[in-house]
Amino acid sequence: MPAAYPFQYAKTIGFLAERGRGFNNPVDLALDSTGALYVLNRGGTEAGRRLAFKRISRCTLAEDYLGEFSSGGTDAGQLWWPSSLAFDRSDRLYVADEALHRITIFDRAGAFLDQWGQPGSGPGQLNRPSYLTFDQQDNLLIADSLNHRLQQFTKEGAFLRQWGGYGSGPGQFNMPWGIAVAEDGRLYIADWRNDRIQCFDAAGNFMACFGESGYGEGQLYRPAGLAVDAAGYLYIADWGNQRVQIFDRDGQFIAAIRGDASIPSQWAADYLAANPEEAAARRQANLEPAVARRPEQTPAEYEWERSAAVEKLLWGPTAVKLDAAGHIYIVDSLRHRLQVYRWAD
Amino acid sequence: MAKEDRALLAHLLRRAGFGATQAELETYAAQGYAATVEQLLHPEQAPDLELDVLRRYHIDQHSLMLIDSAQGYWLYRLINTRRPLEEKIALFWHGLFATAYGKLNHAKAMVNQTDTFRRYGLGDFRALILALSQDPAMIFWLDNKDNHKDAPNENYGRELLELFAMGIGNYTEADVKACARAFTGWTIANADYMTIRSYRDSIWPHGRLDWQFVYNPADHDDSDKTFLGHTGPFNGADIIDLICQQPATAGFIAGKLYNFFVADTPDETAIGQLAAEFQRTDGNIRAVLRALFNSDFFRAPAARRARIKSPAELVAGTARLAGSHRFPQWSIVNLAMDVNFMGQEILNPPTVEGWHTGLEWIDTGSLVERVNAAALEIGDVNQPGVQEIVARIQERGAELSPEQLVDACLESLGQYEISETTRASLLDHARRQGNLRFDRRGSAACAAGRIAELLQLIVATREYQLA
Repeated sequence: MPAAYPFQYAKTIGFLAERGRGFNNPVDLALDSTGALYVLNRGGTEAGRRLAFKRISRCTLAEDYLGEFSSGGTDAGQLWWPSSLAFDRSDRLYVADEALHRITIFDRAGAFLDQWGQPGSGPGQLNRPSYLTFDQQDNLLIADSLNHRLQQFTKEGAFLRQWGGYGSGPGQFNMPWGIAVAEDGRLYIADWRNDRIQCFDAAGNFMACFGESGYGEGQLYRPAGLAVDAAGYLYIADWGNQRVQIFDRDGQFIAAIRGDASIPSQWAADYLAANPEEAAARRQANLEPAVARRPEQTPAEYEWERSAAVEKLLWGPTAVKLDAAGHIYIVDSLRHRLQVYRWAD
Repeated sequence: MAKEDRALLAHLLRRAGFGATQAELETYAAQGYAATVEQLLHPEQAPDLELDVLRRYHIDQHSLMLIDSAQGYWLYRLINTRRPLEEKIALFWHGLFATAYGKLNHAKAMVNQTDTFRRYGLGDFRALILALSQDPAMIFWLDNKDNHKDAPNENYGRELLELFAMGIGNYTEADVKACARAFTGWTIANADYMTIRSYRDSIWPHGRLDWQFVYNPADHDDSDKTFLGHTGPFNGADIIDLICQQPATAGFIAGKLYNFFVADTPDETAIGQLAAEFQRTDGNIRAVLRALFNSDFFRAPAARRARIKSPAELVAGTARLAGSHRFPQWSIVNLAMDVNFMGQEILNPPTVEGWHTGLEWIDTGSLVERVNAAALEIGDVNQPGVQEIVARIQERGAELSPEQLVDACLESLGQYEISETTRASLLDHARRQGNLRFDRRGSAACAAGRIAELLQLIVATREYQLA
């Protein structure tokens, strides 16, 4: 880790599990008012017994497993292509689903409360809602990805307004993904297929745009989830580049995180302790093998291949969330875990 | 364009790809047969699929950990590729160098192998065999990670000669042993850890880890070997050179190409022509296929419908016509399952010999599955490809006779040649409902339904089962 690296790797939470203690292709994370972690598992494929992989897992930063709820299906309270989740100020959990084009609401214990949402392109209708979060008025903001827009709803699902539309101009989107709301009310949107972050004021007026396609510092390739802290630092899951980048509030590059999970999570350690033969072979292995780069590979393609081979690296990071204690949680979707960082002392 | 020319192009696209829509055929027809062959032979000139959207929505196809995810991924490629021959040749080599998920427990390693077939499949055969010999999935599949200097394992060496390149009867048992010794030290990184994970089918703690080829010179037998009459301290690459120089190799590969691209029944004269081209070009697969597609034996009417479609060809081809899964949808896994149920688990062939093709694709169970799956796909009037077919038929006029309707539907599926018996059956059905009309209130939906029904009947015919 370079000396100038302003973050410390703290720990890894998670373990691949089809059900029970562990995650399965987690795509998002939310923290309730007690700090408990709710991990949204997208799983896949959508067939037979694999539907059970889809669920919401509950645990703590200390890796206490608290249980799980929901499962794959199309009935009320079930999930098909779950994409994002967030708590409102009443600790009610809202979950977006990109296949069912609906929002499902649970209480903290996982009991189903309500659902709403209609497929379509009209105001208030949804076409693959990829991300949701709450604004300062506790209204719901939804990245309506295939309608290339943002929509705002009341918590009851009443449509309030929309903005965006397909394009690459200021205020336009190409399959938007993540949304972050700053303390001053600014909104940051990951404009996924335009490889940029757009910033709007609380009223939805376009303010600025930063980032460009590429692999260099400050460049983006298909940015996904993002978060903003009290100081205005922006944490971007640079999904296509297999990393998280941190920008300041003016969009200037601060740092990049490629992944440091070389020490297993407690859940993983428990597994290896129970399987000593496999653990012994793992100890003898080089878990950071050299990965040859083919001349025709773009940097993004090469980094994807490297992440597939080097276990500690982020692979397909989809979301970044923060807690009040200064932890930075990265949802490391293809490695079925959270990598947790914090600012260096 | 004459009907005969369209029929020839449709034949070419069924063999060098997965069929073509009427609009695609018109585009190809505008440039002519020879130019179309050249276009197909140079897939690198067409844009590759953009995988970012697929990976975003299909998270399981992003990591490719599960076999059904990997099968869905490949099927998506077959349906949507703008490089049809690149996918077709990958399918060909996959069938010949049959490697199976069942032993590897590593779907992405299988996908990586098919990527190798895309990269090398139309080029120099020597380079392809070299890449295959360094492919981690193959090393694992045929135990070359267990092929040590002091304890050779002959599995890869034997199959390379027998099943992959030369064919039985063209080498001796001593050649097998020498071949195996030449490939000692060709292994994968962390072989012990990867082996125990694979045997335990361990996906823990954090999913699969890609395998990497490594050459371990300390474990390589660099002593002299005698192989196919040549003696020297051969390494694997030297052995590949000698294999590629053999006339038997040219004949073996030519025969396999003929069987896959031309006909289920071999024609030794035609195979001889392809073998000669293989030898003339030092094993350039593109050149051999150019000769094949431009040959009289391929262009002859007798070659049409001379092959039974593999399940992957049938399902991908029908989905292309129906226009389904042009954008990532979760239901691709169901389509992939259809291919499995018809007897072709892509990425998981039954043995190292691959699939038995031709008539063996068809039995009472698989035929029902083939007809049902194709009819379900092409009968969905909500699919964009079906809507395009309906729109094109409507362009022919406000009212079509049963004869015109049958011809229009046949052409829209690229079916230019069917038996009189089949045509009579289709006509009999069409006549029961009289002329097809678009010009009355509410008639458009009814017409679309009738067209979809007729399309379903066509994909249920004997002729549609044939490539």
